[in-house]
Amino acid sequence: MKRLAVIAVFGLACLGGVAPAQGADGGTIASKVGELGRMEYLKVSDMKAVRRDNLLRVQITVTNSSSDNQQLYYRFLWLDSDGFSVWNEGPWKPEIIYGKQDKIISVTAPTFKAADFKLEVQSPNNSTSGPHSGSTADSSPYR
Amino acid sequence: MKSCRILLAPALLSLSLSACVTTSPTTEGSGGVSYGDSNAVETVTTDLGSTDIQTTSETMTQSLLQTPVLQDIIRKRGLLMASPVENKTSEYFDTKLITDTVLSQLQKNGVRYVIAGDEMQNQVDELRRQNQSGLYKKSSTAKVGNMQGAQYRLDGSVSSIIKKAANIKDVYYKINMRLIEIESGVVEWSDEKEIRKTLRR
Repeated sequence: MKRLAVIAVFGLACLGGVAPAQGADGGTIASKVGELGRMEYLKVSDMKAVRRDNLLRVQITVTNSSSDNQQLYYRFLWLDSDGFSVWNEGPWKPEIIYGKQDKIISVTAPTFKAADFKLEVQSPNNSTSGPHSGSTADSSPYR
Repeated sequence: MKSCRILLAPALLSLSLSACVTTSPTTEGSGGVSYGDSNAVETVTTDLGSTDIQTTSETMTQSLLQTPVLQDIIRKRGLLMASPVENKTSEYFDTKLITDTVLSQLQKNGVRYVIAGDEMQNQVDELRRQNQSGLYKKSSTAKVGNMQGAQYRLDGSVSSIIKKAANIKDVYYKINMRLIEIESGVVEWSDEKEIRKTLRR
């Protein structure tokens, strides 16, 4: 199994120190990312989390292995330390990832209560199989 | 035999009626109306849409929360007011939606804000009703002259550049928001969100 690739570090601003992130279910990228249909060309290749000014900040890198542009839809779900949702389901956001690009996406939690997160991703061009196999249209956040 | 038919008729009627009853808690018409995901990416036209409001509001809230000034407002229980985001584009769009969403999201984080603009008339009417109508007990009325003024004001605008060619329409939106200290007029925070929407025919 692929080792942890998440470098999740919560900065303790007041102490000037750092502590490892305690996700609700561990710290692998796979455990943080929910794919709506398997993505063939796009991949969340890196993920970092840090707590600054009492706000959780997350940075992900999405890698496009294809030479063609790929459309990505994503959104973050914000959770407390017990895994309960602390914010409304956010809007799906469209993002174009150019061919062979490593796109860095940075977000800040919209609430001070967020201690953990989940990332949902979907790419309409790549959803050929996976947990929503055969129902690409239904699973797509694209209207 | 005849009496048997009379007894069977209501039984069959009730059976046929019960067959029509569905367990689904819906009332369906013939128009094919259904509910969709309010958070879905909307690309019906190049006009500003729900996705643009939602993502812009979210971006602005996230940016504001990181500002030391806003964190100070929360800590000191300071007051904010908002002027509606101004629509400088050529299309009709209720840009106050952005203001309302940002205020709502900020309030969930402990920001207090006072009403202003259009809503002020309702507030004044209610104060007058309580104090001048003679209908209310003096001890229970909200007193005039106790409203609180905000220290900071939030405002913003939406602008657009539209380019058209034979087979393409490209719209670029820029949404700007600012937090201004009312007394000094100093802009303590500002941020902008850019959106590009392209329609190919």
